Amino acid sequence: MDRRTFFKAGWGAFGLAALVSGVGVSLVAVGRYLMPSVFYEPPQAFKIGTPGDFAFGAPSFLVDQKIYVFRDRDKGFAVASAVCTHLGCTVAHFQSDQKFHCPCHGSIFGADGGVQHGPAPRALDWYEVTLARDGQLRVDKNKVVPPTYRLMV
Amino acid sequence: MNIFREIYQSIVRRDPLSTDKGKTELVFLNVWLHIHPAKVKKEHMKFRHTFYLGFISFFLLLILITTGIALMVYYRPYPAAAYQDMKDLQFVIYMGPFLRGMHRWAAHGMVACVFLHMCRVFYTGSYKKPRQFNWVIGVVLLLLTLGMSFTGYLLPWDQLAYWAITVGTNIGSYAPLVGGMLKEVLLGGHSVGEGALIRFYVLHVAVLPLLVVLFTVVHFWRVRKDGGLSRPVWKLKAPKTAPLVQIGGTAEAVPLAVQAASTEKTYGLMEVVTGKPIFETVTPEEDDDAVFSYPYAFVREGITLMATVTTIMSMAIFLRAPLEELANPAKTPNPAKAPWYFLGLQELVSHSALLGGVVAPALMVIALLVVPYIDRNPSRRPRDRKWAIWLFTAFVVVNLVLIVIGTFFRGPGWALVPPWVHVTGGAE
Amino acid sequence: MERRLQQYFFVLSVLSLLLIVGAAYQASTPAWKRYQKQYVALEAQGEPNAITKAAVLATPPEVHQVMLTGLQRVDRCTTCHLGVEDPTMKNAAEPFRYHENLGPHIPSKFGCTICHGGQGLATEKEDAHGNVEFWQNPLLTKEYIRASCGRCHKDGDVPGVPELSEGKRLFENQGCRGCHKLNGVGGTIGPDLSLEGANHRAPEWLEKHFLTPNAVSTGSAMPNFHFTRDQAKALTYYMLSLTSEDMGSYYSTVRLIPGPEFGRQIFQEKNCINCHNVGGVGQKVGPDLQGVVGRHSPEWLDEQLINPELVYPGSSMPAYDLDGNSRKALMAYLAVVTPADVQALLSQKPHVLSPADVAIEAGRQDFARFGCVGCHGTELQGGVPNPNAQGGEVPSLLHLSDDYTKDEVLAVIRNGRVPPLDNPSGPPPPLYMPAWKKVLSDEDINRVADFLWSKQQKKADAW
Repeated sequence: MDRRTFFKAGWGAFGLAALVSGVGVSLVAVGRYLMPSVFYEPPQAFKIGTPGDFAFGAPSFLVDQKIYVFRDRDKGFAVASAVCTHLGCTVAHFQSDQKFHCPCHGSIFGADGGVQHGPAPRALDWYEVTLARDGQLRVDKNKVVPPTYRLMV
Repeated sequence: MNIFREIYQSIVRRDPLSTDKGKTELVFLNVWLHIHPAKVKKEHMKFRHTFYLGFISFFLLLILITTGIALMVYYRPYPAAAYQDMKDLQFVIYMGPFLRGMHRWAAHGMVACVFLHMCRVFYTGSYKKPRQFNWVIGVVLLLLTLGMSFTGYLLPWDQLAYWAITVGTNIGSYAPLVGGMLKEVLLGGHSVGEGALIRFYVLHVAVLPLLVVLFTVVHFWRVRKDGGLSRPVWKLKAPKTAPLVQIGGTAEAVPLAVQAASTEKTYGLMEVVTGKPIFETVTPEEDDDAVFSYPYAFVREGITLMATVTTIMSMAIFLRAPLEELANPAKTPNPAKAPWYFLGLQELVSHSALLGGVVAPALMVIALLVVPYIDRNPSRRPRDRKWAIWLFTAFVVVNLVLIVIGTFFRGPGWALVPPWVHVTGGAE
Repeated sequence: MERRLQQYFFVLSVLSLLLIVGAAYQASTPAWKRYQKQYVALEAQGEPNAITKAAVLATPPEVHQVMLTGLQRVDRCTTCHLGVEDPTMKNAAEPFRYHENLGPHIPSKFGCTICHGGQGLATEKEDAHGNVEFWQNPLLTKEYIRASCGRCHKDGDVPGVPELSEGKRLFENQGCRGCHKLNGVGGTIGPDLSLEGANHRAPEWLEKHFLTPNAVSTGSAMPNFHFTRDQAKALTYYMLSLTSEDMGSYYSTVRLIPGPEFGRQIFQEKNCINCHNVGGVGQKVGPDLQGVVGRHSPEWLDEQLINPELVYPGSSMPAYDLDGNSRKALMAYLAVVTPADVQALLSQKPHVLSPADVAIEAGRQDFARFGCVGCHGTELQGGVPNPNAQGGEVPSLLHLSDDYTKDEVLAVIRNGRVPPLDNPSGPPPPLYMPAWKKVLSDEDINRVADFLWSKQQKKADAW
């Protein structure tokens, strides 16, 4: 192969390689473009009020955030997700048996959020709850904590 | 009067239809009709062989595109307006309920017809060589049809739409590795909201229709190129030893290719190239079976089109497309059900999310895609392919049973409730 | 065969033509067009001459709608109910009848569904009246329609709707807040009621629920308060008025009805009678207020109430910080005030109490206001059923001092308490004592305890 043919073929190959990588980069860019950069949704970390707003015993259900706030005298605060881990339906906490029941496919979660029945693949999430400086409880849905996590106030 | 004659002749340039040349030119000189051959074999057009399901699916697609464009005029894809626009379509827009009804029933009909079309092609063994790849394109079209229906489901923004899509996209999120990202890209967020609505809208009115049209074109093209519609099994003749033909080159020069002339092929005029005459195609004994497409094929297609249109129009007039309450993210209806054609999937998911929601459907799709390549049996006769027929029948029955269970036998809490037992919604 | 097929094609084409014509006909003959035709015929009857008659009859049919952008509502009711604003249609049959007593609530600003319910976007009778599947807000019946007033008129009495204020009073006095949250304050044993009116519950359901809670909601922990039918209705009215829609700010000018009832309250609150008199009843520092509305223009009076010194330099009347509606209400009261009424006001003036009595009285009020009476009863008698709690019911508080020290009682109020179980393996009882320390100040808690102590009955000696 002489210089000329080499370069002829070389340019072609380089061109093809550039074209292929260009298409690849474009596809990646399109993919990234489709990933939302901001969310027009309630923030994942939010304040839910002062500890005094929550009673002992039965949990409070916060509709907008889809969370259950538990307050126990000895153990303090805990926040459970009300979104079924199966397909995203909203679970209901029954005071009578202290369990979470999902209306969609009949999953049942125990008091600790663990799956006791039904198709749910994993336990309900428990979210970190902290006391902000202004004395309000702050829940961060980005931080999943073990079900034993408690905030003492 | 000559000017009118001139205008007519400038538009219609073919010979009169009373002549054979005219009948041929009607097909070849018309961009819309030239997907047809000039002549068809009668046996290819046997209704009992294909039930015209492919035609019906295509005509339903035409109805969907037409009514869909009409509906777009009044539809605004954001949550505050979408539901109100549906109400407007229902109550004040001229023929709104009719258009929406046609769109809805045509959509459901298309899912059903495309599926039945696939069953027909399987049972007649029409996916076999040389049509393997067209089967693959057909499976892609089936998936695209499901995608069209699914994305259209969210647009009314009622409770049914909202929760069907919530359940549906959560099924998608079980896909390994990309699941979470897939859900986020599809929804434009973490839950169904205004981001999801606009994305589904774009998919529904631009991306997926474009893909469906493109793949349909390829699908049709290949039907022609692979030898036209497959002929009924009972008309199959013993394979003849096909004469070898040369493509390209003169008699003395080296030919570009040498291949067997198919006995099942009809060839168009555009395949007439300079040089050697084209292959021997029509054998004398088959000749009486071949007729001009005009009017033999066209009248049959016309009847199919009109039957499809009248059926859908009657359904639109007499069956109202439902619209539930405004979407309420805080309140999950019990039970929350996906669209009927996904209820089989949902039924699987209710047993195991990963196995039923991802593994099983993925295996099904892969199995469908590779069917023509693993089925090496060259025979199309049912008695030669019992295994294939048994397996496919099992596949169809399992799907139907799951859908029937999901649709009619699942009550609140996804508990098994037969349809004749009335269950009132549980206390909150 | 081929001929037959062409016939099929012909038949199907004719059929589809008929269908499309049918659909077009169906679309161009909605029921509301018939109503509009009837209405113009009715209107034309009243026209004196043929020309105007013809003009009226030529009115083209069209959908009428009221757009309430602030509420994101569109009401098309007036497409059929064409005579709501036309007094000559007073005796017309529905749907054309004139809507009497609309007052300031003109349909063009308020629409219809805000008060009546129903589906404003619909133009078919069944759908519009909302008694259809998937529409949860059907027309309110005549019996309950006035409850809607409370959706905007949140403060003060609404004239003609005593049920609303009665319901509110019952809610506050019967201890509902002990279990139910309303606008952020209250217990969590029962559901939050802040949006009860937006839950689209049927009024009949609510009323039954108040009469016998278990009848409509099985297993409800709510005790039976033995309300009378009227009380249940009043509570139903109040519940129906609790909606999420921010009508208050949308119609910010109508939040309060400036009626004489409310004016009388202000008159009493601000103690006007300490300086003024009415027909001689009261003090003589300020002028007699009887007939004052006749003597001065409303503008003058308004100015006087805003800034007395501007009207009478050196006036000893303080500038009360009253908003526009309160001033209107006060003037409305002054227009009808009588010496006898003022005498009645004066006699209501609380007699002098000792500081200890005041504290106990305040404790009694807290006890009612924060919902303790919901479970423990207005007379501390308890007795509300509480399955699987020891004794099976909420205990009476009349004998506390036998078993507890005051400090122990204070601790229970502060920190709450789950009653001991009757059957330890059974479900927890539905009712329990919430913790109050974050809701009530220590002062309030002490007052409640003082009040409880003032009510203790010593057990009769056993020997």
